[in-house]
This record gives sequence, structure tokens and C-alpha cells, in this order.
Amino acid sequence: MRRLRSWKLLLPLAALVAVGSVSVSGSLAASSQASEVRVAIMTDCKGAFAFGYELDIGGAQAAFAQYAGGKPKNRKKPSAGMTGIRVGNTPVNIVGYGCGDDTAPTAIKETRRLMEQLRADVMVGPLSGDEAVAVANYAKGKPTKTFIIGTAGSQDPTMQIAPKNMFRYHGDGAQWNAGLGEIVYKRLGWRRAAIIMDDYSFGWTSGAGIIADFCAIGGQITKRVFPPLNTTDYAPYIRQLPRPGTVDGYFWVVGGTGTGASLKAFEQAYGRLDPKQHAGNLFFAFLGADKEVAPKVVGAYVGGFGTAPGLKTKQARAYEAVIKKWYPDLPAADGFVHNYYNAAWALVLGLQKSGGRVGAALQAAMPRALKGGYEVSDNGQIRLDSRRQAIQDQYPLQIVKQGNSIVTQVVGYVPNVDQSFGGLFKPSSPPPGRAQPKCVKKKLPWQGKIKVVRNGVITNQTIR
Amino acid sequence: MSSLALDPKVAVERVVGVGVLVLLAAGPAVFNDYWISTILTQTLFFGIAASSLVFLYAYGGMISLAQTALMGISAYLLGNMVTQRVPGGETKGLTLGWDPTLALVLAIVITTLIGLVFGAVASRSLGIYFLMLTLTYAVIANYFFGQVTQFGGFSPIAGINQYTPGFVGDLIDHPDKLYYIALGTALCVYVVTRYLARTPFGLSLQGIRDDPVRMTSLGYTVPLHRTLAFGYAAFVASLAGILLVWWDGQIAPGNIGIGATIELLVMCVIGGLARIEGAWLGAFAFIVINNYVRDVELPVVGGSFNTIIGLIFLVIVLVSPDGLMGIWDRLWGAIRRGGGGGRPEPAAVGASTAREAGSS
Repeated sequence: MRRLRSWKLLLPLAALVAVGSVSVSGSLAASSQASEVRVAIMTDCKGAFAFGYELDIGGAQAAFAQYAGGKPKNRKKPSAGMTGIRVGNTPVNIVGYGCGDDTAPTAIKETRRLMEQLRADVMVGPLSGDEAVAVANYAKGKPTKTFIIGTAGSQDPTMQIAPKNMFRYHGDGAQWNAGLGEIVYKRLGWRRAAIIMDDYSFGWTSGAGIIADFCAIGGQITKRVFPPLNTTDYAPYIRQLPRPGTVDGYFWVVGGTGTGASLKAFEQAYGRLDPKQHAGNLFFAFLGADKEVAPKVVGAYVGGFGTAPGLKTKQARAYEAVIKKWYPDLPAADGFVHNYYNAAWALVLGLQKSGGRVGAALQAAMPRALKGGYEVSDNGQIRLDSRRQAIQDQYPLQIVKQGNSIVTQVVGYVPNVDQSFGGLFKPSSPPPGRAQPKCVKKKLPWQGKIKVVRNGVITNQTIR
Repeated sequence: MSSLALDPKVAVERVVGVGVLVLLAAGPAVFNDYWISTILTQTLFFGIAASSLVFLYAYGGMISLAQTALMGISAYLLGNMVTQRVPGGETKGLTLGWDPTLALVLAIVITTLIGLVFGAVASRSLGIYFLMLTLTYAVIANYFFGQVTQFGGFSPIAGINQYTPGFVGDLIDHPDKLYYIALGTALCVYVVTRYLARTPFGLSLQGIRDDPVRMTSLGYTVPLHRTLAFGYAAFVASLAGILLVWWDGQIAPGNIGIGATIELLVMCVIGGLARIEGAWLGAFAFIVINNYVRDVELPVVGGSFNTIIGLIFLVIVLVSPDGLMGIWDRLWGAIRRGGGGGRPEPAAVGASTAREAGSS
């Protein structure tokens, strides 16, 4: 018995000593190699977007490999790490990968760990909308650190909050949907529509793009319905939508597992789905929706993700070859891969110009234009506006049947989509929300200029 | 004379306590910035929240799962009241833009009143029923703030720490200031809670913990005592909530979800539910483990933080139900026995320690 009791004491004490010895070394040590640049990649390894973990890290590291001499440790598993990154004479060290769960509290916890404990100078990330809002607020208090958003789609980080040390080289959720409203207005003859959208920052931003685009050309949004995120029973919200026949169509901005569940609730209420009456944001053909949702709405139009799968341009092929070279299993046309790739590439260019210096020098040196994989306008360059937000070409999609499989194909090319939608969204105007934006007819910069894309080729024909 | 002599164990604890306090007071000179701004500041305010739970258990025999929710309620109240809808300002919640001092007082007062209401409803329940009722409060708070977008919604209310009372000043650029505020608050909470335990109210609360039927027959109003205890715990939790948003700058439903509720309970169990000091010890152990084993992958079973903290939790529950403070109690007992003439080991450490905590 006495021996047993001593074990009962020794076991937890040993565990405490083990953890304590690790932490004490971390609490007092403060040495750093001033000559190296410390980079953190923040993404999600838990929650709805956990599947993006390797895609994001792979996208970023492909750029480091291509432009800064990085060597992947494992081409099948990007998170295994990378060695040998060097910009000029300055070594670049990836100090850690952040593991978010698409919520703001975890994003901040991880960001603090990366930027303060691991002492990163630059963060590439985060992944999702609320995370970016939280990180943008955090960035305000850390002016010497540089943040390059990975692939988050909320508007606030670069519109209302817009810290000077934050950059985004891809569109926000509203920009991704540019052109969708005009396409359904012209091709399907929609004039009156309802919209159902997730009740949080990305849902509002994504829906704002659809509403702005559709109303700008003359459409009317007669009803907006807001199911809370993580709703499981969508029936009450479907019943709030106008009945079929009283509107021409429905826009869906319901993400995660909600996409399939909400469409199913619609089917149960009103019968089989008519693809000509439904259009959605990227969640219609994304996040597993390609298998569950897309087959039910073959022919429906879908908002883009800043990428153009199958686009036949030299620049797109070159970009896809880079991804295949370093991480052959990664889907180059996936928005996660593409956006993180651009973010890391921009960092390399910034470090080249700043001579390896970080802080204000790097922020001043960050590129204001970047040759994005699927960019066509402006000699194939994504440009940044005055709030360091990308002005980017967008590509609306359509769900089509190809042989036995259901795929999405690019149907339109929307040039130079800016975050303000031609002045509709401003830092001083209310951000996207339940009642924002208002439905107003307006001349958008790309209105009437959306080109038809056929078999991956941008034609001279405009959408009619 | 011998009754006035200080128990050697208490003497050792006081020496250690003063030593820890001196170390913490000299914190910024000893620890690096990350430890001050993240590890220790978090330890202090999560310790305050955990101490509200430990107080209810150690002195009132009530395990509450509502403390994280109460912490979140004060944080949400403050966030809704102080943030402003201006360019570059907050875009979620009510954005009332009220005076930060007024908002601070209101957030604490309203949370305490809500705690009193929660306590009044739960005061006639015990054991698993009390636990379930307080879990219900936690779930209600989480869903309320997550789904009523007027008060916040799924997205966080951010930028709250830009609006602090004048006497608090800028906490964003001066994390040391927040550290000292948290340290002072934690010290006050510790002293007041220890004092409260020795007042007639505290003693009768401990009597209710040990035998509510007898206390009722002696003329004590058991539900009222429990309600007031819950109100005090809500007040303490509200202070933790204020410190949380001053530190984090934002509040989101994730801060008060079931995961966060369980984390607070785990801190208390690791530290020891029977003694108030266990709250800070548990918070410290939890936060250090959380920060330093993130990249560790266990062989064979895989997993990282959650697996490791789960295993530690399991070991602690099996080996020392009174947590790290219980290990200390056992260690002291072993030393005394080894030296000869020590007191016999208590038969039930948990119960005896809880009683000791009340009377020491």
C-alpha cells in the first residue's frame, strides 16, 4: 500500500516537472536571430474548414519553394514543413502553423501563440471571415508585425477596420459573387428574387455581393432570410421565403452542412428543385456540396472563388505547373491553394524589395500588384487599392454534367472587381449586415462588360 | 500556548504564497513579454473565474457550470455598451458608445443581478440537478449571444479594449498595466473570498454545505444563503469577464461555449476544487500545458493538446481527486510521516481539505 501511495505522488509530480521544464525554458529565453525572418502560417485544422489545412500550407509553401528556394520535406504532406527558404541573403524560417477552428477566439489564441510566443514577424493567414475580423483588430495593436490574409472573405478587415499592416491579395466574399446577379437577370430573366443567407460576417458579405450585383442591374430582392450559423432544421426559415411563383428565383448563401440541409428543407416544402430558380455562392459547389448539393441543381449558376478552373491562359497554366511541381496532389484551382500561394509570393516580393527587413520597411515594400494565377486584366496583375485590398478578376460558374460526373465550369469573366463595388461600399457606410446593402439600381464598373467564357477561353462576346 | 503556535504546514504555505506574490509583483523584470501578456495575465483572470466556481464548491457544496457564461455576460454587456459605430470601429452588437466607466459599473452590477436570479432559481436544487440547471444557463447564454445578432451574433464584438475608463488607460500598448490590474484584482478576490468564508455568512454557508437539513431546522434560510453565494460568485466571474475583454479585445460565442465551460471546470479540477488557491494553480497549469504541448504529438495514440490535457485530467482525478493542491497536502503528509510524529493521513482528503479550507 505504501508503495502504491508513493506512485500516486510521483506520477503527477513527474508530469508536472516535464511540463515545467519545457515552459521555464520558454518563459525566460528571449534570444532571437535578428538576421532571419520568422514567418507563421495560420489556417484551420479543426472545425468546418479543417480540410483546408494542407491546402493552405501547401499553397503558401509552393510559393516559397518556387521563389525563395524552399525545399518541401514531404511533397505529399505540406505540413511536414519546409527548409532552406532564403530571400537574398536573409533566411526565412517558418516558425509554426496556426490551428484555428473558424471561430474568432481560437484564431486570436493561435495568432498570439504564433506572433508572441514563437515571435513571428509575418503571418500568412487566417482562413475564414470571423477569424480575419479578429486578427485585423489584433493587428492594430501590433504595428511592427505584418499580416497577409490567407483566404478569408469578410469585408471588414480591409474596409472598416483596415489596419495599415494588413494586406489581402484576393477578393472578399462580395467580390467573389460579382457578376452572378447580372447573369441570372439576363440569362434566366430573374427580376424578383429572395435571398437566404447565414447570419454572420461571411454570410452577410457574400450575400451583399449578390444583392449589390442583382439590384444594380434592376433586380429586386423581395425577402431576406437569416438562419443562424449551425442551424440543423431549416424548415422555419424556408417557410419565411416567398413561395415559388411569387419570385423568379432564390439566392442561397448557406454554408457548411447547412447547404444540403436547407435545400432539402426547400424540396420538402415545395417539391423538386428547378435549377433555373436557384443560384448560390461558392457553397453551392464547394465544401462537399459538389457531391450532395450540385447533383440536385445541375444547370444552376454559382458565384466564384477568385479562381477559374480550366481557364486556358498561359499564366494559369504556369501557375498550375508550379503547384504540380512542388505538391502534385494539391488542386491548383482551389481557392485555398491559390490565395495562400499569392499571399506567400507577395511576401517574398516584399522581402526582396525591403532587403530582408521586416516591420514598417516590409509593409512599405509589399507589392501593390501581383501576377495572380487566373488574372487577365491589367496585364494579368492583381492590384491593391488604398486599403491594401485586392482588385481582382472574378469568374462566375455553372454546375454542369460532364459524362457521369457533375462539375463546375467557368461561364463568365468579370474584369477588375473592386471591394467598393464602384463606391457602393465605403469605410464610412454600414458594413454588410441584415439590412445592408440596400437594394439600389446603380451602374457598376463591370456591368455590361462580363465576357462569356467557353471551354476555358474568354471570348469577346458579352453576357446577354 | 500551543494553540497559538502556527501549524508548520500553514507557515510553509504562507512563505510560498509570499514568495509567489513577490515573484509576480516583479513579473515584468523576471519574465519575458509573452509570459507577462499571455501566460500570466490569462492565468490571473481565468483563475479569478475559476475561484468563483471553487468558492461555490468549497464553501457551498455547489458545482456550477454557469461561471463561464456569467463571465461572458459581463464581457458582452461591456462590449455592447462601449463600442462605437464609426469608421474603423466595431460593426457588431448594439454599439451604444457609452462612457466606459459607466459601462464597467453597469456590466458588473447587471451580471451580479443576473447571477442572483440564476442562483434563486437553482438554490433549491442539489447535486446533479444543480449541475444541469447551471449547464442550462451556460447553453442559454451561448445561444442567446450567438443567435440574437442585435447583441453580437456568431461573429465577435471586437475592439472593446479601445474603450477603457480613464483611470485604466491604454491597455493595448501597455500589457504590463493590464497584468498588474489582473494581479491586483486576483489578490482582492482571494482576500475577500477568504474573509467571506470566516464571516457568519460564510460559516453558515459551510454548515449548509455539510448538512442543509440541520441548518434549516436551526432556522437558517438555505435557499437565500445559496442565492447570495451564487450572486457573489457571479460578481467575481463578472470581474474575470471584464479582464478577458480588456485582454482579448473581443468577445464571441466561442468564448462562452460548452468547450470553454468545460475548460474552466478542468482548470478547477486540476488545481483542486477544495481550496481557493487551486483555482489559480489549475489555471496556470492548464494555460502552460495549452501553450507548450501544442506541437507535441503523442506516439501511437496521436493527438496533441486535447489528448494530453485529457490524460493529465484523468491521472489527476484517479491519483489526486483534490488536484494539485491535494498532491501538496499528500506530500506534506508523507514528509511528516517520514520525519516521524506526523499526523495520520486523512481518510477522505477531499472532505477534510474542504473543511480545512473553510476554517483556515
